[in-house]
Amino acid sequence: MFYSDQKKQVSLYNRRTFILFLLKLSLFSAVGWRLYNIQILDSSKYKTMSKKNQIDLEIIFPVRGKIFDRNKVLIAKNEKVYDVYLIPENTKSINNTLNALSQFIDIDFAKRRKVIELSTQVKKFEKIKIFENISWSVLEKIETNKYNLEGIFIAEDYLRVYPYKDQLSHLLGYISKPNQQELTLPFISKMPNLDIGKEGLEKSFNPLLVGKAGQREIEVNSNGRIIREISKVDSIRGEEVYLSIDLRIQQYAINLLKSHRAGSINVINIKNGEILCMASTPTYDPNKIIQKPNKEYWESILANSLSPLTNRSIQGLYSPGSTFKMIVAIAALKHGIINIDTTHSCTGKIGFGNRLYHCWKTNGHGKMNVTDAIKQSCDVFFYEISKKLGIDKIAEVAKDFGLGQSYDISMPNQKTGIVPNKKWKKEKIGESWYAGETLISAIGQGFVLTNPFQLAVMTSIIASNGKLIEPTIIKSNGVSFKTNEKYSNEIKIIKKAMFQVVNENKGTAFKSRLENVKFAGKTGTSQVRRISLSERESDDFREKEQEWKNRDHALFVGYMPYDDPKYSISVIIEHGGSGASTAAPIAKQVFNYINELEV
Amino acid sequence: MIFEKIKNLNYLVIFLLILISFIGAAGLYSAADGSYQPWASRHLVRFYVFLLMAIVISFIDIKIIYKYSYVLFGLTLLLLISVEIIGVLGKGATRWIRVFGFSIQPSELVKITIILALAKFYHDIKFENIKKISYLFFPFIILAIPFVFVVIQPDLGTSLSILILGAFILFLAGIRFWKFILGFIITLVSIPIFLQSIKPYQRDRIISFLNPESDPLGKGYQLIQSKIALGSGGATGKGFLQGTQSYLEYLPEKQTDFIFTLIGEEFGFLGTIFIILLFILLIAVCYFISIKCFHSYGRILALGVASNIFIYVFMNIAMVSGLMPVVGIPLPLISYGGSVMLSIMISIGLVLNVELNYNLKKLDNA
Repeated sequence: MFYSDQKKQVSLYNRRTFILFLLKLSLFSAVGWRLYNIQILDSSKYKTMSKKNQIDLEIIFPVRGKIFDRNKVLIAKNEKVYDVYLIPENTKSINNTLNALSQFIDIDFAKRRKVIELSTQVKKFEKIKIFENISWSVLEKIETNKYNLEGIFIAEDYLRVYPYKDQLSHLLGYISKPNQQELTLPFISKMPNLDIGKEGLEKSFNPLLVGKAGQREIEVNSNGRIIREISKVDSIRGEEVYLSIDLRIQQYAINLLKSHRAGSINVINIKNGEILCMASTPTYDPNKIIQKPNKEYWESILANSLSPLTNRSIQGLYSPGSTFKMIVAIAALKHGIINIDTTHSCTGKIGFGNRLYHCWKTNGHGKMNVTDAIKQSCDVFFYEISKKLGIDKIAEVAKDFGLGQSYDISMPNQKTGIVPNKKWKKEKIGESWYAGETLISAIGQGFVLTNPFQLAVMTSIIASNGKLIEPTIIKSNGVSFKTNEKYSNEIKIIKKAMFQVVNENKGTAFKSRLENVKFAGKTGTSQVRRISLSERESDDFREKEQEWKNRDHALFVGYMPYDDPKYSISVIIEHGGSGASTAAPIAKQVFNYINELEV
Repeated sequence: MIFEKIKNLNYLVIFLLILISFIGAAGLYSAADGSYQPWASRHLVRFYVFLLMAIVISFIDIKIIYKYSYVLFGLTLLLLISVEIIGVLGKGATRWIRVFGFSIQPSELVKITIILALAKFYHDIKFENIKKISYLFFPFIILAIPFVFVVIQPDLGTSLSILILGAFILFLAGIRFWKFILGFIITLVSIPIFLQSIKPYQRDRIISFLNPESDPLGKGYQLIQSKIALGSGGATGKGFLQGTQSYLEYLPEKQTDFIFTLIGEEFGFLGTIFIILLFILLIAVCYFISIKCFHSYGRILALGVASNIFIYVFMNIAMVSGLMPVVGIPLPLISYGGSVMLSIMISIGLVLNVELNYNLKKLDNA
């Protein structure tokens, strides 16, 4: 009994021992299979993960490309600046270090608290920026007392600097950190901390200026601490850009504009389309926007009702006033409404429909042909010819002379203005065109809106006998433009009239003529508000000192020299009074200055 | 007498222990970026001391060990309970207790005395009584008390291994298969009841332990990094001291629970399989001793020790290779840590003892 029990027990033990051993072997096989999967089958996947683990890419920011004017004057550069950093692990006491540092540079309580707070959040080997762009004297003091400043170190950075401050601001724009939307752009998304162009040429040439980022492959441990550098590809500096702008003319123009509240001067080289000057006031200093703190400066800009951020040359829309009369005259001559000898009599006003349309000269100009009408800027003559011409033909010619469009000049946010016709009014306003509106349009009022730069292009096309000038902001090397022969005969007549405007007695800009070099042009005075009948009857309404914002805009367009036109200009002084008294003298000064530069 | 015992010692086991511990020392040397400090040298010193201790244990009269099996179980249980009491008084979870200047984890020792107690119990009862339900009560108590105290520490890895160890021993002893299924179901059902009956802070500890998502950079991160280390080792490894995962501190607990992945990174699939084969060999030798032994005490003891080693090795590798949740089980003789090495070496000493006394028929009346 006992013996058989013993035997049974032994055989049970042996059986179960065997089962248990098989069970363990099969469980070991399972982990063995698992290891085979991880270490053999999926090994390459884990190898790349391991590489990724240990290798980090650090982007080396490129230095932004410089911008020069046409004479290789540096107008946007990068200045080396010095920033102060703290590495928490390199100091025994952050407080002591900050105390020592405060002997050389003022650390306010808020900054101190922020640094200490940051030091508890970031990894102890990560650098914390304490100061940006410190002065030379502070830099010197910190460098000489380095041994007392545990954990402090100084790093170089580049700061974009515009040496001519507010004189090129609308052209160049400024740079700043990309916003959320801009971060999706392909070349920006890789460098979210790199400043990019936000306005003007800095924005449109950003892909060129930004350069190519370099990178450093570094081995990092699980904390992100750098163990060693594996490879390094240096960054490539952004390209240099040479503008067509002549800094001297630009500065001269800005200074002229500064004696007025707001305005714009544009100068184009007719021969090659180069923009020599694109000045707009009021202006702003981009350096003050880039350098922090900029809050106060921003607020002052935004609070300014004249909106200094607006580049009036391409973003300001004005009624062209009498500068539009060349277009109307060319259209009338082209379509045979008038010839060079056709006259109309000006009595100071005409009636049309149930309204009176006034000439600026209350008593009338008398008998006028097209040359006289441009020379003396007779409104009635243009009322008369526009009645027969119709708005659509005027619009067609206006478009042929570059109005109502934007140009490929790499300047963002150009406003195209309005060249109205019947179809336009139906579509945009939903009303039919009234015949009276043609009369108003003929003297550059009403719906017609242009920006000052468009007027300069229009003038260039007239001056070059119909060459289709393509303006450029980049220094060009020899371009030829196609000529539109369509208006050759008409332009000849108009150019003579524009000569007389400046150089003959009774011409509206006769007072602004230059003796040594002849230029041609056309004044314009665009009404800001309608003049009531009672005011008009009170005879002296033009002389009366009116409130600034109610005054007319003063315009002048012109070209020089008359015989072989090389420069065209457009001048607008907002609420400047009349074109003859305010804008023409400015054009004269600019032409004179350019003439002096050439000699 | 003593010379005969020295002569009859199982030198294959001793050789395997030395080999495995040296691999462990090499891994620890690498984990310290090629330095004996702070782990490798202490690991080796401990090993030598504990090996000597194991040999001394193997020379002790097995009847004395047999006689005091329940006493030893009671003493280790007391240690385990005092850890919990100290934890309560000290307002913090702890698994450690200081004995003679050593930090000891009583839960590791208790596993050995559970084997002793169960071995004595099944040695003493008659064969026909094994099947009786009433004779399951005592083994149940032997397993349940330490299990509960380990769970509330909370040390789910060790408590799970106590359950599995118990199941292995009871299976060997002859308990019917359906009773294990029943026991498994009862365990599952009693989990919610158990969670209700313990103190809230103990419950919180267990729940936070079971919910590693509360710490996304914790357990999940550990596992990913450990798989990267293993996988990037490939077939033959990156070479000794060339493991980037550990060198760059991506590997968590590289000197303890995750040392297997470090070895896997540096020695590849060949290295990991070699270690598994060494353990299989060690376990197989224990099985051989168990089969060879005449008395139930020795049989159960040797197989219990083999099962204990198996549970450590299997759970550790399954854990670091992502087959099992990360529960904190070290790899015996390779991971750094005194308690586990102590308990493994004591238990190996017991197995050696069993082999030296394999031909005894009965232990109590001899």
